[in-house]
Amino acid sequence: MEPSAPLAIRVPAPRDVGATSTIIEIEDFNFSYGAKQALFDVNLKLDARRVTAFIGPSGCGKTTLLRCLNRMNDLIDGTVINGGRIRIHGVDINGPEVDAIELRKRVGMVFQKSNPFPKSIYENVIYGLRIQGVGSKSRLDEIVEKSLRGAALWDEVKDRLHESGVGLSGGQQQRLCIARAIAVQPEVILMDEPCSALDPIATAKVEELIHDLKKDYTIIIVTHSMQQAARVSDKTAFFYLGRLVEYDDTQTIFMNPANPQTEAYVSGRFG
Amino acid sequence: MSVPPPAKAPAFAIHRRRTRILGLSLDQCIQAFFGGHALTAVIVLTLITVFLFKEGIDFFGQNRENLRIYRQSGMEYVDVLRELERDHTSLTRYLYDIRLRALQHLTGPGGRSLPEANAALADLDALVERFGDAVVPIRGFVSDYGEVAVGIKTRFIENQDFAEAKRQYLAAGMVAEAEAITVAPIDFKAEVAAITGAFPEFEAGGRDLAREVASTVQQLPALPTPELQHRLERFQQLAREYAASIDGRLEQMRTWQWDRPVPATQAFTAFIFGRQWLTASFWQDWYGIVPLFVGSLMVSAIALSLAVPLGIGAAIYVNQFASRREQQLIKPTIEFISAIPSVVLGFFGIAVLGQALRALSQAEWLAWVPGFPFAERLNALTAGCLLALIAVPTIFTLAEDALNNVPRAFREASYALGASRLQTILRIIVPASLSGIISAVLLGLGRVIGETMVVLLCAGNRIAIPDFTQGLTAFVQPVHTMTGIIAQEMGEVVRGSIHYRALFVVGIVLFFVALLINFLAQKIVRRHRISIG
Repeated sequence: MEPSAPLAIRVPAPRDVGATSTIIEIEDFNFSYGAKQALFDVNLKLDARRVTAFIGPSGCGKTTLLRCLNRMNDLIDGTVINGGRIRIHGVDINGPEVDAIELRKRVGMVFQKSNPFPKSIYENVIYGLRIQGVGSKSRLDEIVEKSLRGAALWDEVKDRLHESGVGLSGGQQQRLCIARAIAVQPEVILMDEPCSALDPIATAKVEELIHDLKKDYTIIIVTHSMQQAARVSDKTAFFYLGRLVEYDDTQTIFMNPANPQTEAYVSGRFG
Repeated sequence: MSVPPPAKAPAFAIHRRRTRILGLSLDQCIQAFFGGHALTAVIVLTLITVFLFKEGIDFFGQNRENLRIYRQSGMEYVDVLRELERDHTSLTRYLYDIRLRALQHLTGPGGRSLPEANAALADLDALVERFGDAVVPIRGFVSDYGEVAVGIKTRFIENQDFAEAKRQYLAAGMVAEAEAITVAPIDFKAEVAAITGAFPEFEAGGRDLAREVASTVQQLPALPTPELQHRLERFQQLAREYAASIDGRLEQMRTWQWDRPVPATQAFTAFIFGRQWLTASFWQDWYGIVPLFVGSLMVSAIALSLAVPLGIGAAIYVNQFASRREQQLIKPTIEFISAIPSVVLGFFGIAVLGQALRALSQAEWLAWVPGFPFAERLNALTAGCLLALIAVPTIFTLAEDALNNVPRAFREASYALGASRLQTILRIIVPASLSGIISAVLLGLGRVIGETMVVLLCAGNRIAIPDFTQGLTAFVQPVHTMTGIIAQEMGEVVRGSIHYRALFVVGIVLFFVALLINFLAQKIVRRHRISIG
């Protein structure tokens, strides 16, 4: 790898500028953990089949917002939505008739630390289908291959599908988690710092994978690495202290930010 | 030019301090203090093991001697006849049972009066009487020659006592007193010949018995119901089998030899596979662990079958469902159970649970449960229910720990894939903590097997292998256990006697069972740690 100066931001490659459609609308969203408010009046429209990056210093609320998108925060005691709403395809996901389980089937998630189940690679990939009651062996085989190919892992593991998923390397584990997430064919994939525990080569592979996946999926990625945000995303949202500071095309955010705080952050002067 | 020695301590003081206690530095003292504690534990455990074996191992020699005298005194020979008589008695009991049922049927609602009913059963009574009379000659032999055999054994034991007294006098230097004791040696061959010499009588008696039994059951009286008739036919079959077995038994007596040596292994096998634990008997003492082992096993099986679902269920609830407040209430409550002294639990079992279970068993709507209704208040079920209470805290606490050790990330990943709470628990959390849960169950088993007070008070303490021919009914019969027998009998035995040593060997068996269980549990936990990573 060519050594680069730490602050040099590569200019994002020209993006596909086809027509975009909004899939997720976040309006005046407020969220707290108990008495501590984590998000203040966030307004954001996310495009379908694009990669959106959330950046910002630790504790700025980007992961919290991400976990609100598939209601993973429901699992934490004492969390409250105090104002605003999130719509996906126009449906309020916190509405009274929404089933969080159904929502999570449509909005998948990949976590910061790879967390394959202590099961075989095969069982890991089909877990989401097993719980939906899919039993047909031929269909499962087909989906395993498709998902692992989709996660660029097939060639590496096709001969040991029935060995434990925990035995893979860190990067392979993370791609296995991505395969597991896309096996249930969600529309949106949320990625919470998916590369923070990976070495540069594994990171490059996952980033390449993100490029390929956006053909079919809407991807929202939280990252601490500004280079990564610049490399993979089409749009970038910068958060600070629970507020959305700036949201624009990635190129604009990195080259010509409107807000001085954004500029300070992306150029590495704080954060 | 020489360097002058430093006049004062250097400012950079990094050399070792010289505090020493008994010639050891402070670090060494601390190390010795903790090392000593660890060493003490190891030494104590070793001493316990050595002591158990030292006290117990002589049992096998004594038991061999016990079996040898059993043979040489002719008791083994007479036992063939005793068994013949005993089998006859159990057949007679079967017959009485049929008569009782027939009488109950006849005098039932709208039936005949008692004299009429008795008259109707005259044929059956004749059969009972004739069958009963057939064994009288054999019973006479058992009584006469049994006494002879016991006489031989008694004299042998007296001789041993005399010899011991003589040895002690000699050891104390009291030669005159020692001389005064004369030990008349026993000529086993001649003595036993007095019993075996009567073989022609036994043979004739046995043949008569076989013939008489066979002819008695040739013609069966008619009974009022097909069910009773069927039972009588079953009796006929059993009686014929009995009659047919007599030849084999006579053959066994013919070929019996008083001086056939008892192999050393028999002292061991007679203990491990012995189906009788019979002590302080007028006849022969048997030390067979099977009834006690089976008792312990049954009580533990009942306890675990209750405690495993309760303990694991509670652990899953507390770990996965309960709010913080509920957790704060449930965990200490369950853990408190283990603080109840087991004697109090046993007392509760006698006073409350035994009564309650018996009353419950007599409820009409529970009549379908196998073994219900039962009459014994104290039985394997009562003890098992209480032992379950003792095992629940162990299983609960360890299973909860195991569930807690499942990384939170597994749970989140499962939810993120659209799994419900139940699916997450059953497919991810329980499998991931399975080895921890299994070792929790094993340690619960270890706790239950070793528990003494509750089984001593509540298991009914009947030393017999429960009758498994009736299926699950065996579980409401009284049993005795390995721990119970030690607690009950250790206080009464003569130190150094075979009975005393037999109890130690039971202790050794318990020790090994506990060792095995703990070993397995630890092995499983170790594997579990590796798999979770």
